[in-house]
Amino acid sequence: MSAERVIVEGLDGNGRVEWRQRVELNAGRAFTIGRSLEADVTLDDPHAAALHASVEVADDGRLFATDLGSLNGLVVGGKPWRNAQSLELPDSTLQVGRTRLRVRTAHERLDPERPYAMPTSPLERRPAWIAGIAALATAAQVVYACWLGAPRDLAISIVTSMSLAAAVAAGWVAIWGLLSRVMQGRWSWLRHFGIFLGVSAVFVAVNGLADLAGFLFAVPPSSGRYTWIGAVALASMLFLHLRHASNLQASRAALIACTIPLLLAGAAHWIEERSRTRDVNYIGARMRIYPPALMLRAPNTLEDFFNRAPDLREFADKRLAEAVANEPGTDAEE
Amino acid sequence: MFRRALIAGLVLAFPLPAQAQPPATPLNTVTPASSQGAREVLTRVRPAVVQIKSFFGANTAQASHGTGFAVKEGGVFITNYHVVAERVQHPGKYRLEYCTADGQTGPLSVLAVDVRHDLALVRAAGYEPPPLELQPSSTVKGDRAYSVGFPLDVGLTITEGISNGKVEDSFEPRIHYSGAINAGMSGGPGLDAAGEVIGVNVSGYRFEQLVSFLVPVAHVRALRDRSISPLSDLELKREAAAQMLAHSTDLLGALNGAMKTQAVAGYILPDKIAPFINCNASGNAETDDPVQMVQVRCEAKAGLYIQQGLYSGDLKYAHYVLTTDRLDALRFTNRLSGLTQATGRYGTLRHVGPYACQDHIVGLKGFDASLLVCARRYRRFERLYDFTVRVNSLNSPKQGYASHLDIYGVEFEPGMKFIRRYVEAMEWRG
Repeated sequence: MSAERVIVEGLDGNGRVEWRQRVELNAGRAFTIGRSLEADVTLDDPHAAALHASVEVADDGRLFATDLGSLNGLVVGGKPWRNAQSLELPDSTLQVGRTRLRVRTAHERLDPERPYAMPTSPLERRPAWIAGIAALATAAQVVYACWLGAPRDLAISIVTSMSLAAAVAAGWVAIWGLLSRVMQGRWSWLRHFGIFLGVSAVFVAVNGLADLAGFLFAVPPSSGRYTWIGAVALASMLFLHLRHASNLQASRAALIACTIPLLLAGAAHWIEERSRTRDVNYIGARMRIYPPALMLRAPNTLEDFFNRAPDLREFADKRLAEAVANEPGTDAEE
Repeated sequence: MFRRALIAGLVLAFPLPAQAQPPATPLNTVTPASSQGAREVLTRVRPAVVQIKSFFGANTAQASHGTGFAVKEGGVFITNYHVVAERVQHPGKYRLEYCTADGQTGPLSVLAVDVRHDLALVRAAGYEPPPLELQPSSTVKGDRAYSVGFPLDVGLTITEGISNGKVEDSFEPRIHYSGAINAGMSGGPGLDAAGEVIGVNVSGYRFEQLVSFLVPVAHVRALRDRSISPLSDLELKREAAAQMLAHSTDLLGALNGAMKTQAVAGYILPDKIAPFINCNASGNAETDDPVQMVQVRCEAKAGLYIQQGLYSGDLKYAHYVLTTDRLDALRFTNRLSGLTQATGRYGTLRHVGPYACQDHIVGLKGFDASLLVCARRYRRFERLYDFTVRVNSLNSPKQGYASHLDIYGVEFEPGMKFIRRYVEAMEWRG
């Protein structure tokens, strides 16, 4: 019968395993830990003694640590111990010097095997594809926007806009990559890149289509359109980033992702509306013009337009009354 | 544009005091040598000219200052309305004082105003110099002329120049004086070589050379001879408001004739629609831009200064006509879109309300256009509105225009009626 073996794991600050070593127990069902080659588990830790501690495995699998005369002692159960003798390790871990160790024995109870489902999200399965498509879509939009402006030097315009877009994307993705690294131990660059560029491209496309639809059906843009489409885009982006950068449940991620844009958009909308009642020079954005051949709706007659003049007058009077109601005092003189 | 002229007006003219002296002895048959003439004229008019200072609340430091001169026995002076405008519009917050050239001071009250001609009749308590003589007829182009006032608060000053007669095609009559009128001289007398009043200093261009304006003496006479019954502060304000209204009615009435138009790149657009409207057109003859633009800008320069930050009774319009032979329809219409946006140009909630707008596609003569009409109501002058209008053609992938019309301080119905005539005059003849 071969000697009994245990596995010793070195843990990082987040409790993740950094290294693993198989150790055979000696006759006393124990093994030693220290900086020396004599030790069964040799640590590269200047705060550990040559032979720092020994760990004994009882018949029932419980673990007991004994200090072999070290300067720094042991840390067990979150507390420092000096000259510990047969001190039980309640969670199978101990700290020697600055190294955290976990001991796994044959007595350890294993959880049942969890079912594994292959990732179904395209972002997880093919992040490179998604990021590539999103990057292409964004690049196409940037090129189109530059081309539409008919600048004197199209190449300079494109390079400038591309550089700006790349800088913004890099900054945003760096934040989420860092969060992923901290929370999940991996950077997930491609996923975050794909999320940012993909959602941005959809946002730009939706706005463009809304502009075009406005022209086709002759509807002037509503005042809060950009704010609210932007809020939906931001919520989608945050939800996807959170899901891929953290271990948050979907419901919690959705709550955070919706709350932040809702608060931002609500505040922006309130400030805009509030300042508009005071801004006597504000006239809303007008319909963007496309080639006249695309227009679907028949024009009004001038007669119709000017027949509505009384409504316009009433509206102007109402706007003044509202503004004055919000700012009393100036008329007091008369 | 009217704002620029009026601001210049404020900078130009503000008043100073004078001292009681025997009345001017008129009539030199020969124009004296210039320095001698100026000295004599100043000596004659000095007692009749006062500096007029406006104070905010109980402050002893002045808020603004101008000039005034005696036109009637009993301490009755003429000055510019804009010198006393804040006192008229906010009687509880401003007070007026006069200060003679010899340093005598006292309170000043407003008797009557003529907002349209920027004049006000005031009475100085305790100072009754002999009035200046008003010249009976209008001046001749080329006559020597003088202007007296208190420029920049540096003391009584006379400047010498030439009267160039009445300004042609001005909505409100003005005498063109080729001489210096600076801030603080407003309301001071413009004089001929005999020391008789030919007009009242009113405005000038800050960045031009010696182009200044006087209100013709006929309006001084009319205001002086009006029966003066003391008006309450409220009545004065109502009188000013009524004059604003009359001005705007006359302005739109003067535009009632046939709408004169011109053709630009196939579009028929309103041109110089009245003699008092100035138009300039420009374009770039040598451009590497794929879109060529012709700009036509017109303005009436008829605006009245009512009080700080508030003007009324003016109008201006501009057409931006674009053509291209190199751009496709998508890029061309995108460029045209940039000219369609609208915003107000000045004003605060103290004076006007926010804009209300109506924006639709309409069929005009031979083409469709997007038409935006916005109106905002005056806060204290309830019958007056400002209008901002944008018309954008939607008929050609290679040609188009944006027309901007702004009207300030007119009544709603006549304003809309004019806008309709303006839009109806537009036509596409390809």
